[in-house]
Amino acid sequence: MIDYLVSILTEGVIFAIMALGLNVIWGWSGDFDLAYYGYVALGAYMTLVLTIGPPTQPTTYILGLTLPFPIAVIIAIISSMLLALIVGAIALRHLRGIYFSIVTLGAVYVLYIFAGQFVPLFNGYNGLSGLFDPMGDFFHIDFASYGFYYLGLCAVVLIAVVIMVTRLNTSRFGLALRSLREDERAAAAFGRNIYVTKLKAYVLGAGIGGLGGALFAGYLSAFNPSAWSPVETIILYAAILVGGRGSTRGVVLGVAVMVMGLQEATRYLPEVANQPSFAPAFRLILTGIVLVLFIRFRPQGILPERRLRDEDPAGKSGAAAVAEKVVTGPSLDTGVA
Amino acid sequence: MTALLEVQDLHKHFGGVQAVNACSFTAAEGQITGLIGPNGAGKSTAIDLISGFKIPDTGTVVFEGKQVQGKPPYAISRMGMIRTFQTPREWPALSVLENLILACYEPRREGFWLSLRGPTRAEKERASEQLIRARAILEEFGLLSLRNERAGNLSGGQKRLLEFGRIRMAEPRLVILDEPMGGVNPVLGERMATAVLGFVGAGTSVIIVEHNLPFIERVTDQVVVMAEGRVIAEAPFEQLRGNQAVVDAYLGEMPTYDDADN
Amino acid sequence: MHQALLTLGFALVGASILALSALAFTLEYSVTNVANLSHGEILTVGAYCAYLVQQHGGGVILSGLAAAAGGGALALAVHNGVVDRFVRKGIGGLPTFIATLGVSLVIQNVLVIIFGAANLGYSVPQSPPRTVGPFLWTDTEIQIMVSAVVITALLYVIIQHTRFGKSLRAVSQNRSLARVSGIKANRVAALTWVLAGLIGGYAGFILAESIGTFSPYSGFGFFLITLTAAVAGGLGKAVGTLVGGIIVGIALEFFGGYLSPSYNLAFAFAILSLVILVRPRGLFVGGRRSIFE
Repeated sequence: MIDYLVSILTEGVIFAIMALGLNVIWGWSGDFDLAYYGYVALGAYMTLVLTIGPPTQPTTYILGLTLPFPIAVIIAIISSMLLALIVGAIALRHLRGIYFSIVTLGAVYVLYIFAGQFVPLFNGYNGLSGLFDPMGDFFHIDFASYGFYYLGLCAVVLIAVVIMVTRLNTSRFGLALRSLREDERAAAAFGRNIYVTKLKAYVLGAGIGGLGGALFAGYLSAFNPSAWSPVETIILYAAILVGGRGSTRGVVLGVAVMVMGLQEATRYLPEVANQPSFAPAFRLILTGIVLVLFIRFRPQGILPERRLRDEDPAGKSGAAAVAEKVVTGPSLDTGVA
Repeated sequence: MTALLEVQDLHKHFGGVQAVNACSFTAAEGQITGLIGPNGAGKSTAIDLISGFKIPDTGTVVFEGKQVQGKPPYAISRMGMIRTFQTPREWPALSVLENLILACYEPRREGFWLSLRGPTRAEKERASEQLIRARAILEEFGLLSLRNERAGNLSGGQKRLLEFGRIRMAEPRLVILDEPMGGVNPVLGERMATAVLGFVGAGTSVIIVEHNLPFIERVTDQVVVMAEGRVIAEAPFEQLRGNQAVVDAYLGEMPTYDDADN
Repeated sequence: MHQALLTLGFALVGASILALSALAFTLEYSVTNVANLSHGEILTVGAYCAYLVQQHGGGVILSGLAAAAGGGALALAVHNGVVDRFVRKGIGGLPTFIATLGVSLVIQNVLVIIFGAANLGYSVPQSPPRTVGPFLWTDTEIQIMVSAVVITALLYVIIQHTRFGKSLRAVSQNRSLARVSGIKANRVAALTWVLAGLIGGYAGFILAESIGTFSPYSGFGFFLITLTAAVAGGLGKAVGTLVGGIIVGIALEFFGGYLSPSYNLAFAFAILSLVILVRPRGLFVGGRRSIFE
């Protein structure tokens, strides 16, 4: 029972990290990026090929080093960011709205196909495995309590990401980025370089995604195309949409509801329907329905994005309190003239 | 009067249509220059060409002595030219105050690493100075009580005033107003005229594209008239009534400020 | 040369399916301005409906009709249940696009629950290929191509020469203007989607016939290729889409011959990106959507 709880919490924490990265791209920058899970996947794959050592026949994959886990994670993050730099440099140059989404969808499908078909890369459909208990030896943790340790590790990373993201969000960087989301032309008229700024946000978000993927690889000990399909991105989007697009607390809440909550709520379903694939399919159906409902009726989510609120009644002093006041979230349909 | 902006021989065509045809005019510093003409005269296209939102086929745009044609909008904006658009383009989900704070482009404070490590004391002081200034400007435009409102919830006229507030905040050398009176309740006309005149006082020269001719007569020092993509007259407003080409372009309708109900 | 012609022959089969699918997608887009991300599911459902008929002993014709009917019904449900509500509320293209993504997810997984996630196949007996001039086709393949031509011709007649077609064109060009002229835009859009669903469902059937097996995810995979054709032809332009479908279909077959066919999707995406980046209005003049300048 405890093990199950630890397991589901770890998954939730890791997905929260991924969702926070996606929130940078969609929540702040306003780009509906369907390639996001590709950066997560690349983070996972790279972490594995950097830690599980050389391939043994008949598996094949690139690299195959045995670097320490933290180093591998850092390199994995960088590789996700590089991939995002390439995709973003092309897609963000001229495209917005559905065209951008379509191109990114295509990009992630290409990655998915190559990962699955081009065996020398990441061992094709069989994937990679063998990352057991990262850093467990280093900290002398025994097998039984490893789960707790890893949950703690991921939680620490999540807190760090939350701090970073919150800082950026309330800073001028975040404000300028949101202005790009709200109205690009006006932002350009006021001196913002749309392309460069969006690209920065895109790469940043992808880096966080890669981090999530790296931790995910450590959690699963393995990774292959069945562990990710481009449809996973939709789950992250649903979480962000439900929780509160643009707001950090909202995103975490959304993951808690849509990932952990949904998992819990549908735990006993497989016995009902006598089908092994019933529960995952049912969860996806619920996810899809919730997605449609929220986009129609509550696009800003449960905990919408916050604005700066100037509390000084006379408006005389130089300090402004950033308070919890919210009315509505980001404008959903923006940017395309 | 020195020429702040010199437009020389601009050409731009779309498909088969020559939208801007050998367009040349000058906007002097410290003045309010009007840009008028019937619909389809090419005024908006000319503005787009000047401000970098479109690239001219041929011709030059010289701003403060430097050539800017073909440069991207953000680059021209950073050189000190800001433009508005035919519909108010506030940042809807941000508050009124946030809209103003963002009006100034600050490369250092908007940088990623600096934002990550948090502001120094000097930067915090700078931020609060900016806040005080923003409040003062909002008060001047009568928007102070709305400062925490979601900018998208404002009325059309309020959004226009917000845009003016942003311009005052940014203190550009030149502001190009694209039909600021469009969709605005004429009751606000005098307030907007005051605001436009106030720009010059604050060191910002103005080019204003408008159909509302009484407004043009009220605020401008010089008027450029365009028709069918080219400039057909460049003179103060009173002189235009006698200009046959201008009258023809407008089919004889040249209302005066006194005629208007304001 | 002979090999090239043979490949062309095979390519025409795939191109026929692709053209129909792309036409259906374009129909959906033209009257609602929505890129329907669940379009692929219309094909999948069509394939499954045909499967059900065949399980009960129906022949090819009945299967095809069932597929069309299933697709039409689904399209109507999606339009009236989701898309139209968004359109009427004035919600823009991107949020509705996201909503159709959710719809896609739901439909795929409902199929998984009903039929299971595994591949299924038709039990249609395959006759040996026969020689038709320089080409080599099976009866099924000939049926596919001929029906595609017939359906396209019928569609052309409907759009150009019926009153409904006129309303359709009016709504696709300017919805509010059409409404002011007395056209019930929502009804026209719904019927257009039914039409698109009929064509799409049938396309799903012939797709399944041509590949041999299908799963709840088949339609979505094929959708990306459909998107390539539709965008290449210019979103919203039926003629362009048709030509785009044929060209893309043929191109894919030829390049699929050099690489493994599983890379088809990647190649399609390469084409798609190239088109969007270089000529976002489509390869043909007069395409509608322009993008951020």
